Amino acid sequence: MGSYQMKVHDARPLRSTVSLSEETEARLSDIGRTDLLVGIPSYNNADTIGHVVRAVSAGLAKYFPDHRAVLVNSDGGSSDGTTEVVARSVVDYGALLISDRQSRLQKIITPYHGIPGKGSAFRTIFEIARRLEAKACAVVDSDLRSITPEWIELLLRPILDEQYDYVAPYYLRHKYDGTITNSIVYPLTRALYGQRIRQPIGGDFGFSGRLAEHYLDQHVWESDVARFGIDIWMTTEAIASGARVCQSFLGAKIHNPKDPSADLADMLMQVLGALFALMEEHHKVWITQNESMPVKIFGFQYEVGVEPVHVNVERMIMAFRQGTDDLGFLWERMLGKEIVGELLLLRSSPLNEFRIPDDLWVRIIYEAAVAYHHRVLPREHLLKALTPLYLGRTATFVLETQGLTSAEAERRVEQLCMAFEKGKPYLVNRWNDEPRA
Amino acid sequence: MQDFFDKALLAPLEHLGRQVLGILPNVLAMVIIMGVGFAVAWVLGHVVERVLRVVRLDHLCDRLGVNAALVRGGVKADPSHLAGRMTYWSVTLFAMIAGLGALNLKPINQFAQSFLAYIPHVLVAGVILIAGYLLSNFISQGVLIASVNAGLPPARLIASLSRWGVRLFALAMALEELGIAASVVIVGFGITFGGIVLAACLAFGLGAKDLAKDYLERTLLGRERNRSPDDLRHL
Repeated sequence: MGSYQMKVHDARPLRSTVSLSEETEARLSDIGRTDLLVGIPSYNNADTIGHVVRAVSAGLAKYFPDHRAVLVNSDGGSSDGTTEVVARSVVDYGALLISDRQSRLQKIITPYHGIPGKGSAFRTIFEIARRLEAKACAVVDSDLRSITPEWIELLLRPILDEQYDYVAPYYLRHKYDGTITNSIVYPLTRALYGQRIRQPIGGDFGFSGRLAEHYLDQHVWESDVARFGIDIWMTTEAIASGARVCQSFLGAKIHNPKDPSADLADMLMQVLGALFALMEEHHKVWITQNESMPVKIFGFQYEVGVEPVHVNVERMIMAFRQGTDDLGFLWERMLGKEIVGELLLLRSSPLNEFRIPDDLWVRIIYEAAVAYHHRVLPREHLLKALTPLYLGRTATFVLETQGLTSAEAERRVEQLCMAFEKGKPYLVNRWNDEPRA
Repeated sequence: MQDFFDKALLAPLEHLGRQVLGILPNVLAMVIIMGVGFAVAWVLGHVVERVLRVVRLDHLCDRLGVNAALVRGGVKADPSHLAGRMTYWSVTLFAMIAGLGALNLKPINQFAQSFLAYIPHVLVAGVILIAGYLLSNFISQGVLIASVNAGLPPARLIASLSRWGVRLFALAMALEELGIAASVVIVGFGITFGGIVLAACLAFGLGAKDLAKDYLERTLLGRERNRSPDDLRHL
């Protein structure tokens, strides 16, 4: 792991890099400083954000009664009254048996400026954290239904008391929930950077004030990170900068389903695009990393029932087959003839016997990363052309684990991670090779 | 007799001689201009080819699919060599026109003026064709990937239609720029494009009426398709 590169707080005057509204500036002057800050990015989340605000308020009151705390809602111009809900959401502390609240929770409701997206919302939250000199911060999604006050303690306490810089969430999820995370993001992040962070794109994180400052100093805010990919960027940047990283067990994550019209290819493009772009930026860090280490998990772990997930395997395999028919020539340019030859053999497999083996999947992802690096195709095309392959791999995972418990399926994910780690020398060799002719 | 000899034979010869002597400097200028022009064309052609090889134009064209298109069209030379040859012949052509212009003959001057005035149109038409070709490849590739990801069975057909649609459009624009039967091109393109759209509408409406009905129901009425449930959360 690279040396710790983050700047330590010093006495120099705080620079302002993000423009804030006059009202927000006035609130910052009133508040002065804070110990804790919890940010909630939002855009038209009036249905759910009230619960999140109440859980955050209760968590801060219950677990940090003697700390100054600020709740920041960074809103993208909601038209459904989201900010009004945030303003009027209050907690009945008596009902929660919280009596020794010493300082009042301050709320800042602010619009964010810049490119529309979660990244720009976070940037405003980081800027407010810097201006208020917050020691520990957390961000939580505004569509959470399962958040409890305990989440706030689990995200902030490791930073305040254990001197960690970054707390990633650790959720209990259905074995078929988060399939991009299970088949690509977790194994790849773990193999590259050597830290076993199970939910690198979880969406709810804790981080120190100085890590927020480090994030602000990066020149990514006019790029795609500002629109999407902020979650994987925060995790990777924390690891690559040498920050102390841990995880907190938060139980089940239940949140509003994403927009059903959201396109899988777009989703894949956003996540993989961010991952591959970060590989280019931090190649000096990951190229020398040989093995992975477990990352400490805080919190009391328990089993919990999760929502069932229905899967149509046949449709996924059909999508894969159409991909081999129509996109084979593009895959050949991206992944090479050898891999495409192996994929073509799978085309005629009976549905129940269809499998994309681990080692083939690892080579596909590594070759895709190399092709992205060498710009073998327009990057958007390259990333979207991976969709049928991803569906084929997801079908493989479902077929392999249909009779297994979540714990047993988790062992299957672990096997895939080992395959990614074992195949890493292949990636290192290919990364600096000449582009495929 | 002497007078006849002077007027009938020597005078025309003298006149011809004066004319030849008058044009000789122009001929000499033409030879020099053409000679220097050919030499410059030769040097520039080689320099352009070498520079393009250094900046890896061939590799870029390979990625853009230009090399494959050239091979399909029976051209075996690589793009750097082609660009070098094009430079050579362009400079040679200019040298020839400039050389002939040095003769100061009215028809040649008129031709040179018309030719020079037409060159910008040829260049613009060339740029339109090249841009149209590259854009058609890019768009058809994107359409192919989007169609496959949407599960549309005739993905390749849709991609081909988009490719040839863009190319036809570029060709029509280029011909219009060159002033070749502009009205015929516009009308022809309008009829072709309108025909394609009409054919596509009929094909979609008649050949895939269930798909059209399903699509409209889902779009306008928000009705879900009757298919097995699949509520995977990918992230």
